[in-house]
Amino acid sequence: MSAISELTSLRRDKSGSSPEDRRMRAKEAGRDNKAGYLFLLPWLVGLVVITIGPLLASLYLSFTDYSLIQAPTWTGLDNYARMLEDPRLHNSLRVTFTYVFVSVPIQLALALAIALLLDRGMRGLPLYRSVFYLPSMLGSSVAIAILWRQMFGTSGLVNQVLALVGVESTTGWISDPDTALWTIVLLHVWTFGSPMIIFLAGLRQIPRMYYEAASVDGAGRWRSFVQITLPLLSPIIFFNLVLQVIGAFQSFTQAFVVSNGTGGPSDSTLFYTLYLYQRGFTDFQMGYASAMAWLLVIIVGVLTALNFFLSRYWVFYDE
Amino acid sequence: MALNRRQFLWGSLAAATATAGLSACGGRSGGEGGPASLALAWWGNPTRNANTTAAIDLYLQSHEGTSITAQPGEWASYWDRLATQTAGGSAPDVIQMDMAYLGEYGARGALLDLSQYDIDTSSFAEGTADSGEIDGAVYGINAGINTPVLMANPALFEQAGLPMPDDTTWTWDDLRTISAEVAAGAGIPFGVVGVWASEDYLELWLRQQGKSLFSEDGGLGFEAADAAEWLEMALSFQEAGATGSPSQIGEEAAKSLDQSAIAVGTGAMQTFWSNQLEALSEAAGTELTLLRYPSSTGSATDRATYYKASMLWSASARTEDPEAAAALIDWWVNSPEAAGINLAERGIPANTEVRDAITPELSEVQQRVVQFIADIEPETTDAPSAPPAGGGALEAIFLRAYTDVLFGSSTPSDAAQAFVDEASSNLSG
Repeated sequence: MSAISELTSLRRDKSGSSPEDRRMRAKEAGRDNKAGYLFLLPWLVGLVVITIGPLLASLYLSFTDYSLIQAPTWTGLDNYARMLEDPRLHNSLRVTFTYVFVSVPIQLALALAIALLLDRGMRGLPLYRSVFYLPSMLGSSVAIAILWRQMFGTSGLVNQVLALVGVESTTGWISDPDTALWTIVLLHVWTFGSPMIIFLAGLRQIPRMYYEAASVDGAGRWRSFVQITLPLLSPIIFFNLVLQVIGAFQSFTQAFVVSNGTGGPSDSTLFYTLYLYQRGFTDFQMGYASAMAWLLVIIVGVLTALNFFLSRYWVFYDE
Repeated sequence: MALNRRQFLWGSLAAATATAGLSACGGRSGGEGGPASLALAWWGNPTRNANTTAAIDLYLQSHEGTSITAQPGEWASYWDRLATQTAGGSAPDVIQMDMAYLGEYGARGALLDLSQYDIDTSSFAEGTADSGEIDGAVYGINAGINTPVLMANPALFEQAGLPMPDDTTWTWDDLRTISAEVAAGAGIPFGVVGVWASEDYLELWLRQQGKSLFSEDGGLGFEAADAAEWLEMALSFQEAGATGSPSQIGEEAAKSLDQSAIAVGTGAMQTFWSNQLEALSEAAGTELTLLRYPSSTGSATDRATYYKASMLWSASARTEDPEAAAALIDWWVNSPEAAGINLAERGIPANTEVRDAITPELSEVQQRVVQFIADIEPETTDAPSAPPAGGGALEAIFLRAYTDVLFGSSTPSDAAQAFVDEASSNLSG
């Protein structure tokens, strides 16, 4: 409600409800709407110009052969048919799914565990909260990815520390196809701060009296956690899960920087988005890259829908 | 609870929209720039960046009203940026181009046909004026001549108690033995670095077998069996302890010049181009030597080596001022003033008059490069033609096959077959 209509509604309280009043009210409601749309305008323009326009363009391009430099030519479903027979695409899906399904649960479990620790109301809580949150702000930055490359390289910090305890190695964690992906999973898990803050806020909302009642009834700490904390926190867990799954599917910077844009060694860190980028900007196959982008939209959409469907069975809304 | 279903739904929807936004990355943005302003992009090293900036300043002094935006870069990220800029319609006006990408950009119409503009190549050395020619159009002007070499660090050979190898008679087998010896003797991971991380060496080796990397009609000029033999040799070097561990090889392929093994003293020999001697010597802080790469027969004249355009100057097809772009290129390759600043850092100038004019001014290191280029003249054959469109990805595809072989997840023959299949489908696609 705007200030104008608030004032008029104050005035209205004094007078009765005549036809004239109703007309006035309708007019004011219209003015309210206009003001509302005016305030929305920057966002609306952004949505149409920056998001929806290019989105439709990419949908069109996904049905074309487009080399970026030459004009696109219509090829119908060719790009989509080609995806069925592209082994690198299938590999990139495998890499991405592994990454999402391993890193997101571990990250959320860690976030919840730390949030529970911090929820005990210890001294210096704001400091700990900030320290744990910091990696979330840095984790997707180029600088941290470069740091990761140095740390997990053959002569990096991790191997140097291992050498101190007698484990000499000439294999780098980021350059061995068997371990490279796990270093990036670790990087993602390390950014547990933002779900942790949300968990912490959620924990604060659970009324203390439930725990008090439970302890009177003789429930232990574990029992309280399973019977009270988890159900009451489940909407927050669900929220974090959906957000993190969507976010993890879009991970790009880490893999791009750590592998120097190759997705190597041997495509072991070829994230879907990285492969999409390679096709579009290195191989000049923007039509195919657009089709890949739409496949990603479908995959994320289906997974999110599935998440919502499954939530009926485990999320408890205390409304 | 703080969060009800509706708030939750909106939050998720916002995140989903953000995902969808990703699919919008094919959009174009308009190009910027006034009539007499040029953007100049190059990849390089600290030496080249300083030279190029100084040369730009000199050009601006004598060309009132022109402004030049410098876009320096690093080899590995340069091509990603150029592709992005080209797609966005904001490609730099004047582009330092590599032979590997000339076909990619030229054949797709992204580069200006410079034969339509006034660039004088009448004083160029024989065979250097047509380096950038594809099907009758000139997409790039030779910015300097170089040749593939092995950079060697004599101090490490001395440390290992070994004489410098005789590069006029050595074979690939000799290279393996010597590399393994120097690595073990000097206590460093790499005897030789980079041979298999570069498509140029696959090409050189194929030329020694009478084949080529790309055929005349734009396909591959070799078969899976050739690639398998090359990969087997790669594996034998690694197993002999001549080129470091599989991990180290992979990491080395992603490093910049000043972090490279020869620059930091962890490698005794490394593949480079002759023009990089000065920058590398500076980075290494020690005197390096140029060696001929090995032959298959033991005679340097069978090496099938060549003079390469170390790089070319190209102009964007969409430049708003093609005349000004061409004038800048012409000045760069033909004026003694420009050459006086750049000297031989981009390679020995193709313009023979310019070359003679600057030779006395060259540093001792660069004079050695000029001498080396002159020495190998009897060993040179025709330069390979520019790779066709789709050929730019060959090196990345090969690197994957190489890594698979090194880590034992594929045999040389399987990896070679996969490499050939993917490379040829990329060429036709």
